[in-house]
Amino acid sequence: MERLPEHVPQELVTGFSLYSSPEMVPTPMGDPQAAAAKALLAGPPIVYTPLATRDGVGAWVITRAEDQRRILQDGVTFSSFRNTFSAAIGESWPLIPLEIDPPDHSAWRSLLNPLLSPRRVVALEGQVRARAVELIEGIKARGTECDVMTDFAFPFAVNIFLQFLGIPDDRLMEFVGWANDMLHSTPEARTAAAHKVLGFLDDLADLRRREPTDDFMTFVLDADIFGRKMTPHEVRAMSILLFIGGLDTVAAAIGFDLYHLARFPADQSDLRRNPEKILLAAEEFLRAYATITPLRTVTADVEVNGVLMKKGDIVSCPSMVANRDPMEFPNPEKIDLQREDNRHTAFAYGPHRCLGSHLARREIVVGLEEFLARIPAFRIKPGTTPMTFGGYVFGVENLILDWSA
Amino acid sequence: MKIIVHRERCQGHARCWALAPDIFDLDDEGFVVSGNIDVNPQDEDRAWRAAKSCPERALTVEK
Repeated sequence: MERLPEHVPQELVTGFSLYSSPEMVPTPMGDPQAAAAKALLAGPPIVYTPLATRDGVGAWVITRAEDQRRILQDGVTFSSFRNTFSAAIGESWPLIPLEIDPPDHSAWRSLLNPLLSPRRVVALEGQVRARAVELIEGIKARGTECDVMTDFAFPFAVNIFLQFLGIPDDRLMEFVGWANDMLHSTPEARTAAAHKVLGFLDDLADLRRREPTDDFMTFVLDADIFGRKMTPHEVRAMSILLFIGGLDTVAAAIGFDLYHLARFPADQSDLRRNPEKILLAAEEFLRAYATITPLRTVTADVEVNGVLMKKGDIVSCPSMVANRDPMEFPNPEKIDLQREDNRHTAFAYGPHRCLGSHLARREIVVGLEEFLARIPAFRIKPGTTPMTFGGYVFGVENLILDWSA
Repeated sequence: MKIIVHRERCQGHARCWALAPDIFDLDDEGFVVSGNIDVNPQDEDRAWRAAKSCPERALTVEK
């Protein structure tokens, strides 16, 4: 662990870590979002944790929605430049566009935004629904129980992503393994998986250079940016981000939503009887069960809410904590499936707002609609124990649902 | 009622459009179209809700 910087007041240092505190480590039947929010919202608005990332780097933790909004909206003072992926292979370059700062960032987003705009996603809905139905009917045909993550959430999210990239899904479970190793495994496994993903995406780019078609990779190779074509390196740095972003987060969201519905039968039967409520309920699930924590680096000394931050400091903005800030959401601990004015930050604030948010929302809504329409009233299978965890992307595992009579 | 659109703050969450697509229009990238919006009296509730749902606070309501 690094030494505490001199400008950090001792009274702002917290022992809480999204990685190592109770309920952040794998926990039977936990509620990691509630636990993180409870621990951090009880203290000052901004605290300092010596353990802010999986690699044990210290950072300021911004717990209130208003401060997170200000920081994440200001991409000049709070740089998003990092080397999250490339560090795993001993290199240092940013993912595009997530780790690119203004002004270049907006050119990258302008290129990509139309591909995942709300209207474009409406056009993708048919494919998304067909995949959900296929998976759920397969589950039904096999019996009266399922492992939500491995039988539904991961295959569903990965499948939609592969379709978006234009890749046949015969290698689906291989992809799931790579994503899991990159996000949740040991440094060695992370490095190995990173090389495999890079190799796969490089091969795909080579294939589409030779045989262009109507898919994402062909679009990327054809696209103009800054009045030129992308370099092979840029193609990589962008494809990898979509790979990482599209898999784990959507699956985790679906996992937490079904975990909630299994634990709270009244909510389950409400949405079952009134499927038109799912659209709004999905927003409340995004608020209550947000999974990500954007990180920024301070580019010039700045004061935020009375706290001095110095150039080079890391700032951490856990979305699941701001999403339960009582100044932003009345009665934030209550999970109210028909909550209005739900301006949550599950997809972050500011210019780096999740590019895939509209597709993610569709996947979540369609996934819940079809699951509830096709699977009878379900519960956590007696004798099994879901495990929840915090960290880089919050999640739930071993969620076995049962609907035997 | 009038909705003041702070276009420079819009980041394309599109919550306004999701709640009231007939009141808020999006461009091809998914950002709200520039220009303040005069709201018909019968649409005020929905426009107000949509404005309140903006995570960036890019929409303010003027009575």
